[in-house]
Amino acid sequence: MVDTSVSFMRSLCMGVIEEQIVLPFPRVQDEQRETLRTVIESIRQLLGSKETDFAAWDRAGEMPKEFIEQLKEFGLFGLIVPEEYGGLGFKSTAYSRTLQEVAKYDASVAVTIGAHSSIGMRGLVLFGTDEQKQRFLPRLATGEMIAAFCLTEPGAGSDAAAIKTRAEKDGDDWVLTGNKLWITNGGIADFFTVFARTGDESGKVHMTAFIVTRDMEGVSVGPHEHKMGLRASSTTTLHLDSVRVPEQNVLGPLNKGFKVAMQILNNGRTGLGGGAIGGMKRLIEMSTQYANQRQTFGKPISEYGSIKLKVGQMVVNCYATEAVVDMVAMLIDQGYEEYAVEAAISKVFASEALWQAADEALQIAGGNGYMCEYPYERILRDARINRIFEGTNEILRLFIALTAMNDVGSQLQELSSTVKGIFDDPIKGFGVMRQYAMKHATLVTGYPRAKSRFTLVDPLLREHAAVFEDATRHLAAAVDRILRKHGRNIIGKQLASRRLANIMIDLFVLACVLSRVNSSLAERGAEGAQRELDILKVFANQVQRRVRHAFSLIDINDDELIKGVADYAFEQERFVWDNI
Amino acid sequence: MKILVALKRVADPANHNKVKIPASGDRIDTAGLEWQINPFDLYALETALRLTENGKNPKKREGEVVVLTIGPKETETNLRSALATGADRAIRIEAVDEELDGRLVAHALAKIVEEEKPDVVMMGKQVVDSETNMVGQVLAELLDWPMATFAATIQEQPDGLLVEREVDGGVAKVKVTLPAVVTVDLRIVSPTSVRSKHTEAGFKYPYEEVRFAPLPAIMQAKKKPLAIKNLSELTPDLKSTTRYVKYEAPPGRKAGIKVKDVQELVQKLATEAKVI
Repeated sequence: MVDTSVSFMRSLCMGVIEEQIVLPFPRVQDEQRETLRTVIESIRQLLGSKETDFAAWDRAGEMPKEFIEQLKEFGLFGLIVPEEYGGLGFKSTAYSRTLQEVAKYDASVAVTIGAHSSIGMRGLVLFGTDEQKQRFLPRLATGEMIAAFCLTEPGAGSDAAAIKTRAEKDGDDWVLTGNKLWITNGGIADFFTVFARTGDESGKVHMTAFIVTRDMEGVSVGPHEHKMGLRASSTTTLHLDSVRVPEQNVLGPLNKGFKVAMQILNNGRTGLGGGAIGGMKRLIEMSTQYANQRQTFGKPISEYGSIKLKVGQMVVNCYATEAVVDMVAMLIDQGYEEYAVEAAISKVFASEALWQAADEALQIAGGNGYMCEYPYERILRDARINRIFEGTNEILRLFIALTAMNDVGSQLQELSSTVKGIFDDPIKGFGVMRQYAMKHATLVTGYPRAKSRFTLVDPLLREHAAVFEDATRHLAAAVDRILRKHGRNIIGKQLASRRLANIMIDLFVLACVLSRVNSSLAERGAEGAQRELDILKVFANQVQRRVRHAFSLIDINDDELIKGVADYAFEQERFVWDNI
Repeated sequence: MKILVALKRVADPANHNKVKIPASGDRIDTAGLEWQINPFDLYALETALRLTENGKNPKKREGEVVVLTIGPKETETNLRSALATGADRAIRIEAVDEELDGRLVAHALAKIVEEEKPDVVMMGKQVVDSETNMVGQVLAELLDWPMATFAATIQEQPDGLLVEREVDGGVAKVKVTLPAVVTVDLRIVSPTSVRSKHTEAGFKYPYEEVRFAPLPAIMQAKKKPLAIKNLSELTPDLKSTTRYVKYEAPPGRKAGIKVKDVQELVQKLATEAKVI
C-alpha cells in the first residue's frame, strides 16, 4: 500500500524518487471513461454550434441570462456536488476532463463553471458540516445558487494576509464589513465563500472563512467589470456592510481561514489545468487546419520548418500539460494528502503552455490572427488571466521552491539532533543547522540513495529516466547548496528560488510525461506509441538543457547586476537614455 | 406505446478520411476510427421519444422506448448515451460486425420482437456505412407486419400511424396499423414532424435536430437496465450470406478546369460533359 502522506516533489528535493506515486500512470476506469465520453458528446452538442454567440458575447461583455439558464438545466453547475446532494459527484479527474471540454468552446463559460466549482463552493464540499451541505449543496448543484470565492481585496491579492475585511463576534452572530475585488461570478452568484479577519495574535493575522448569501442584509455587488479577456464571464466587486452572518455559517475551523483558502485553491487547480488543456487542443486544431490550407510561395505553410516547429512544440506542451494535470487530479482522487507543490506546478506549467500556444497560433495565422474576425485574439486575451489568478505564477514559484527548502531544512535539523554528542554547543534553529548539520549532511551525502532510480519504467525509456535521475541528484545538491549559501535569507532571494522552482517544475512534468508514455508503451507497444516516444524524447531533451542551464546559474549569475539596473529604473521611474 | 429502436454504431462520418483499406483489400482497417450512432438511427430514437411524450415535458414518458444494438462491448457506450437522452432500457446482442449482414440482423431483431412485443420497431432508413437499406424491410417481411419506410412525418392516430414517406418525386402518405415497422428519413426531426396523441395542437419542438442528454441524465442512465444477449443463441442456425469480395477506396476526384467565358462553358458542357 502506498503511503498517501508522501509528496513526490518534496521527496525529490531530498534526492528520493518515490516512483510508485507516479507509476504506473493512473488510468480512468472503464465505466468512468464511458460516462465521460457521453458527457463530452453532450457538451459538444450544447456548445459546438455557438461559436458566433461566444464571439458576440465577448464583444458585448456579457452572456445572456437565458444561456446561463441553459447551462443550469444542462447540469454543468452540479459537477463536483456529491450525488446524494443531487450533483454528479465528479472527482478531480472527471471534473478536470469536463472543464477541458467546455474550455474548447469558450473560456468565459469554462470560468463561470470553474469559479463556481473549482473554488466558489469547494470550501463547502471540503470543509462544510453536514448541516451546511444539506442547506446549500442541493441548490448549488442545480445552479439555483451560483457560487463565488471572495478572498482578494484592493490591498490584498497575493498577500492574502493583508485582507482588511473584518468579522466581529456579536452575540451568536458574526458581523462582516469590508470590500472584495475581482470576484468571478460576482454578478450572478448567491453563495459567497468570504474570507475575513477574525483577530490578530502577536502580529499574526487570523482569518476565517464564512458562507455569505446574497439575501443577507448589507451584501451588495458592484457593476460588471470590463476585462481584457473572459469578457462574457461576470466579474464584480463585493461589498459587505455590517453583514450579520450566523455562527453556523462559519466554514471550516475558526481562525484557520488561510489553510482553508489554500486547500480550496490546491484542490481546485485541476479545473484551471483542464481548461488550459482544452484551450490548447482547440488551438492545435485551428493551427493545423489553417497551416494546411494557407499557401505561401506555392506551398501550404504547414510544409515550412518554422511553422512545424511551432505546431510541434504546441503538441509536446499539450501532451505534457495533460500528463501533469491528469497526474495531479488522480493523485487527489487516490487520496494523496500532500499534493500542494505538484498542484502548483501543474497550474504554472499549464497556464504558461496555454499562453505560448495561443501566442504561436496567432503568429501562424499572421495578420488574420490579429483580426477580431478570427478567434485567435480572443483566445489570447482569454488565456492571459491564467498566469495571474488562483495565485500568480510568481507567488506559486516561490511557494514551490520554499516548500522544498523548508523540507530539506527541517530534515537537516533532525539530522543535526542526532549528532548532538559530536558538537558541544546545543544545536538550535536554522542558523546553527546551516553551519554544522549541513556539513555533516554533505559529508555522509545526507540523502538516502536507495530510491535514486526509476525501476518501474520500460527499458526503452531508460535513457530518459536517466536524465531525470541525474537531474534529481543535482537538484538535491542544489537545494542544499542554495540553503547553505543563503540560509534563512532565502526567503528574500527570489531569483534563486525562482531558478529552483523552474527546475522542479520541469522535473515533475518530465516525470509525468515519462509515466504517461510508459503506460502507452505497455498498452500499445513501441510501434503504437512511436509518436509519444518522440514527444518524450523532445521534451526530455528540452528539460535536460533547461535544467543544466539553470544549475549552471546557481552560483554564477547576473542576479545582482540586473537587480541593480532595475533599482536604477525605480529611482528614475523612466528610461533615461536617448539617441538624439 | 412501446417502441423498439434499433441502433447501429458506425464510423464517425465526419472522420471518413480515417477509413483505411489495407493493400490486400480484404477488409476495412477499423483501428483509430471514432464510433457513433448511425445518424438516421438517432433520428429514429428522437422520433420514438417524441411519440412517447407530450413534447412539453420530455422527462415524462408515455409508454416505453427500448433501444437495441448488435455489436461488441464497446457499443454499450452508444446504448448508454441513448439511455441518457431518454430511452428506458437497452439490449445489446453480442456479435462482431464482420459476422453480420442485413438479413441476419433482421432475423435477430425478429427474435427480440417476439420477446419484447413492441407496438413499433423503428430505425433509420439506412446506415451510413454499408448503406444496404434492407433491415427494416426484411424485418417487416419476417414478422409479416406492415411497414412505412423513409418516414418524413408521423402522426399517431387511434388506429395506427399516419406516415408521410419521402419518395422520388414527392411524398407518399400511408397509414399503417400497429404493430408496424417504421424507418425514418432526415426530415422526421423537424419541429412539427412527429405528433403523438399527447402532443398539443400547435406544439413545436424548439430544435430541429436530435436532443442531447443533460449531464444529470447521463448519470441516471448508468442505473437504467441494459440486457445482454448472444447472437448465436438468437439465431443458432443462421450465418451471414453476404460475401465481400474486395474493398476499394473510391477513385479520387479529378481536378476541375477553369473556363474563360460562358461560350466556352456552354461548348464544354455540350461536347465534353455531354449534358446539354
